Amino acid sequence: MSQPTGVIHDIGYRHYDGPRLGRGGAAVALWVYSLRGTFGLGRTFKSKIMPFLLFGAMMLPAVVSIAIMALLKQAPLSYTDYAVFMQAVIAIFLAAQAPVLVAPDLRHRVIPLYLSRPVTIIDYIGAKLAAMIAALLILMVVPLTLQFVGEMLIDLPMPLHTHEYLAGLAGSLINAVLLASIGLTLASFTPRRGLGVASVIAFYMFTLAASTVLFGVFTSEGHTEAAGWGFMLNPFFLVNAVQVNLFGTPSTSGEPVPGGAGPALVVVAVVLLALAALYARYRKALAA
Amino acid sequence: MTILATEALTKRYPRVTALDGLTVSVGAGVTGLVGANGAGKSTLIKILLGLVPASEGSARVLGLDPATQGQEIRRSVGYMPEHDCLPPDQSATEFVVHMARMSGLPRTTARERAADTLRHVGLQEERYRPIGGYSTGMKQRVKLAQALVHDPKVIFLDEPTNGLDPQGRDEMLRLVHRIGTEFGISVLVCSHLLGELERICDHVIVIDAGRLLRSSAIGELTQASQVISVEVEEGLEKLAARLTETGETVAVEGRALTVQVRADETYDLLRDAVVDLDLNLVRLEQRHARIEDVFR
Repeated sequence: MSQPTGVIHDIGYRHYDGPRLGRGGAAVALWVYSLRGTFGLGRTFKSKIMPFLLFGAMMLPAVVSIAIMALLKQAPLSYTDYAVFMQAVIAIFLAAQAPVLVAPDLRHRVIPLYLSRPVTIIDYIGAKLAAMIAALLILMVVPLTLQFVGEMLIDLPMPLHTHEYLAGLAGSLINAVLLASIGLTLASFTPRRGLGVASVIAFYMFTLAASTVLFGVFTSEGHTEAAGWGFMLNPFFLVNAVQVNLFGTPSTSGEPVPGGAGPALVVVAVVLLALAALYARYRKALAA
Repeated sequence: MTILATEALTKRYPRVTALDGLTVSVGAGVTGLVGANGAGKSTLIKILLGLVPASEGSARVLGLDPATQGQEIRRSVGYMPEHDCLPPDQSATEFVVHMARMSGLPRTTARERAADTLRHVGLQEERYRPIGGYSTGMKQRVKLAQALVHDPKVIFLDEPTNGLDPQGRDEMLRLVHRIGTEFGISVLVCSHLLGELERICDHVIVIDAGRLLRSSAIGELTQASQVISVEVEEGLEKLAARLTETGETVAVEGRALTVQVRADETYDLLRDAVVDLDLNLVRLEQRHARIEDVFR
């Protein structure tokens, strides 16, 4: 007699004796999962619209710049100015996607499930922060790199802007770390995604307005140095100043920037402050 | 085999003492942890998971110290919280796979085990739909699945029957019992309903205000607090009087009569009394012991 085929057997509960990746593996998995989440990958179609629209907007100047290089043989858009020119798009991306990373877990109280596993609070925050940094890096570095590849392929009557490109990459990294720290911290204070979006945008608008006003006031009073610092209220100009001091590239605003280690120290201080607040926020969530 | 044990475990918060010199020991199988709300059940679980430090005393889970080896403990323990903890926009499959990965399972293993576990807790095709549209019973199953997916050695269930209708309750309790017996995973299940736990537990620990009230095998506990409830069409007073005459402890509770079981003969006496008085018996049932009975 032949054996019956295609029969489903209930094999009962099976134990698992295979490998367990532990804390490190879990943290890396969370990082990948979160990074995918910032671009809506593995989520609904609706959550892909915003990040990809903004990503497309970031690419536009690079594409136009390549076209201008190819057709008019003119210098490409300055690599070190890209982030400052496109700051509104970057800020909106941060505001839209930082709450995506932190709000649902807080709102639906998923955090205890993470913490009852090998993952610790530090791992959790670290993975989320690294994901936001990586997402912002992708947003800023891809257009720069595309433009640089374009510049290499097109035969321009001038040397390659390799130094500017590298300075732009370094600036993107500093920008990503600073913005991700501020954005995630602001977003983590509310479990509501909409409020998170609003608070990050409000923060950006405030720094934008305040920096312009301070610059104007100090300039009309003749305090040139104070005016330069007033501009530093805007995180994009702050990072631009660090870039100027580190690589000797021209400042985007055309105004002299505070020199020395000052702007860099401010960046470090703001990042540390933001991360301390973020950690305190999740300590509180654990105790609850 | 001792799965977990505590020794004079105390947890003081600034304003309340959640655990007060608790010394318990839990063996393999299904153990119930009973206490009113605020008795210290959740605090105990948090300490056992190594998430909050104890103020005094010590604990061991699977031979490990939560204060210093929380990491290893959390690798082999599953936890189902009492509160809602599911993102509504994800499907059960996506969510449980993700939680398996957070327990350190490799990607393909996580997928396989998530599918297996969801089948074991009884989620069928609906596991591909977003959790937001699930009934409470289905959500509780997903919560249970995420606690089981990494094949823990011990599982902590905090009020798994919360918010379920009687049928859902029965199914969940059967499932918990299967986990403890068929799956071979030790279970610590919290509840404020002793009656629920007596059906599935081998052992019950009762705590109140952070102190151990009693810890005993299920047999001893229910025997001490057995009550039967009788309902007859009319003549409840006559029956009460007859039973009191024969030395039973009875009380009228609405339309029913509750009788304390002294010994096995109580059942015979009750049956005979109903027959002698020619009463129409509507209901005769063993009333589940309630937490208050244990406190007496």
